[in-house]
Amino acid sequence: MKLTALQDKNVDELRMLLGVDAKKDLLLKKLSELGMPEIKNEIYRYFDTQSLLEKQYDRIRFVPKKIEESDKIEIVDGIIKTAPKGIRVYYGEYKEVDTAHFDPLYYLGHLLVSSVIIIELDGDVETEILHRFTQPDTLIAYRLVIKNQANRHATVYETFEGAHAEGSLVLYGYDMHIAKDSSLRFLKNQTMHNREYSMIASHKISVQKQANMVYKSFDFGDASALTLLKAELDRFAHIEAGHLLYIAGHAKRGIVSQIIHKDEHTTSHQEAKNILDDNARGIFDALVKVEPSAKYTKAYQNSKSILLAENTYMIAKPQLEIYVDELEASHGATMGQLDKRQLFYLQSRGISQTDARKMLVMAFANTLIEKIKDARHQERIKTSFEAAFHASNKAEEHLPTLLR
Amino acid sequence: MMKIENLKANIGSKEILKGLNLVLEEGKVHAIMGPNGAGKSTLSKAVTGHYEIEITGGDIVYKNRSLLEMSPEERALEGIFLSFQNPVEIPGVNNAYFLRTALNAKRKHEGKKELNAAEFLRLMKEHLESLGMKSDMISRSLNEGFSGGEKKRNEILQMLVLEPDVIILDEIDSGLDIDALRAVSEGINKMKNGKRSFLVITHYSRILDYIKPDYIHVLKEGKIVKTAGPELVAQLEAEGYESIEDENQ
Ligand SMILES: Nc1ncnc2c1ncn2[C@@H]1O[C@H](COP(=O)(O)OP(=O)(O)OP(=O)(O)O)[C@@H](O)[C@H]1O
Ligand SMILES: [Mg+2]
Repeated sequence: MKLTALQDKNVDELRMLLGVDAKKDLLLKKLSELGMPEIKNEIYRYFDTQSLLEKQYDRIRFVPKKIEESDKIEIVDGIIKTAPKGIRVYYGEYKEVDTAHFDPLYYLGHLLVSSVIIIELDGDVETEILHRFTQPDTLIAYRLVIKNQANRHATVYETFEGAHAEGSLVLYGYDMHIAKDSSLRFLKNQTMHNREYSMIASHKISVQKQANMVYKSFDFGDASALTLLKAELDRFAHIEAGHLLYIAGHAKRGIVSQIIHKDEHTTSHQEAKNILDDNARGIFDALVKVEPSAKYTKAYQNSKSILLAENTYMIAKPQLEIYVDELEASHGATMGQLDKRQLFYLQSRGISQTDARKMLVMAFANTLIEKIKDARHQERIKTSFEAAFHASNKAEEHLPTLLR
Repeated sequence: MMKIENLKANIGSKEILKGLNLVLEEGKVHAIMGPNGAGKSTLSKAVTGHYEIEITGGDIVYKNRSLLEMSPEERALEGIFLSFQNPVEIPGVNNAYFLRTALNAKRKHEGKKELNAAEFLRLMKEHLESLGMKSDMISRSLNEGFSGGEKKRNEILQMLVLEPDVIILDEIDSGLDIDALRAVSEGINKMKNGKRSFLVITHYSRILDYIKPDYIHVLKEGKIVKTAGPELVAQLEAEGYESIEDENQ
């Protein structure tokens, strides 16, 4: 199917085109109101969706398989393949779809699936989710729901493999419910290569009373993907969001987020570090909204970017929308190049230009990587980062300095 | 060891070095003195391949090759070392990691086995003690928040570890207290082996009491205008640079 066929359609037309019943009318209405992504749509303005949406994709028939036991949750083309013992992973109906999400594709995602993958994190658990995409030129659409337990502390580490999914578009996303007095650390480590899949991920995170959400994304490589994230904070809830972007080639990659302080004493801390090479375009379009009911809020937002090449383009738009007086808030964005003096200092000690650049880029990225508490995860993310760095610097390794 | 011939160099559109000639002899200590803004640091940057410097004429010949065609890192690997007048701070780059990377790059270049972290730390311990440096200096970010004197000692530490063949010290003595000056000078003297050449840029005779120079060169307005033995220092101290005429004219 072609997703552009869904542009400018009313509820009845969408119901027909998507083949869903009237039970889903509310979602159809939202999709129709928000409209399919287009250039004139503010949130998709900087991300080239048109070429992704007008492509003819195959669809996969939803055929659930028997879930095998393994050390991680593995999802292949949207179908659960394995799950660890002690974690409940199953298909189910999701009745709590957000009725005020800003992203049309959040609704499209929910409309395209007949059931969602529900992951229940019981107790203090740590798990890994591996998403594998194996089909070329396919629209791979699925939704996941994560629920944890009150007073418990869980960690989810997420990775992706997509070597054979050339030309595919993955539309996926989470609805996360962070229970009262609990914490969830969610670490996403995604290296995407050109000529693999593209991705649009649309999430909703509800952080309930006194709960603590940590969402860290590590996005590397030279393929395009956009994350759309809406988070809502209940009384005394906290979210810490960190985004490290290292992209090259012609990648367009980044995040459009809305963090909404719904109640008093909520805190948010959002920090983006963006490293762009070649012709890459980075997006950090992040709104923090403090509602009238959210007194005594603390909100911090910051974006720092390093542009390694002339043809890179960073859209950094941290924004605060505030409806109360009693709060502490700050936001800012900086952009620059690698410091030539620092580069020269390292080179003058015999360190190659590539290694010197890597050391400085790494130093810039490290503040985010080293904030990861678990040493093993830290190491894995460092390794991914270095691999991505080498992949995009290999070609120039042997050029003399003058030519670069 | 190194021959600088009629070197002309610009920074921006301004000519700073205006036909500079200098021969560094093997195993010798050359001191360069001269007024502020004469081009001393510019000379050291020209030798190390600094990006600000545009060479417009002349040549620097080292080990029978022109340095001008070599990248900064290649020059370093071939044994050229500059202790910077103002070492830059690099937050987030660990000092030990940096130094081990530099040392291993050099060892690799020379076909030697690279040192692992433990071997490196052993080597480090010796040098830190001899320089009177606290051991936490090596685990901090490179030069970040170091005092002026600490930065200079860190430069000398790098020199000791990298064992270069040509050592350029740009005002290594400025900002050092008496003990630091002694420790740093001892470090430099340890490197003398009858083969290495030293180019000591300084404004003060004091360090030359510790590191005995073989030659004194006066650099004025982008040229070496006078070369003499160590006895010249006393004359310069007494009369300043005004009295020095260009002996080549
Ligand atoms: N980046 C620059 N842009 C413009 N002019 C520069 C730059 N760097 C140096 N210069 C100029 O070049 C000239 C020589 O500077 P240099 O640093 O080589 O002097 P120096 O002999 O080392 O002086 P000092 O004894 O004060 O260290 C000075 O006039 C200085 O202002
Ligand atoms: Mg100087």
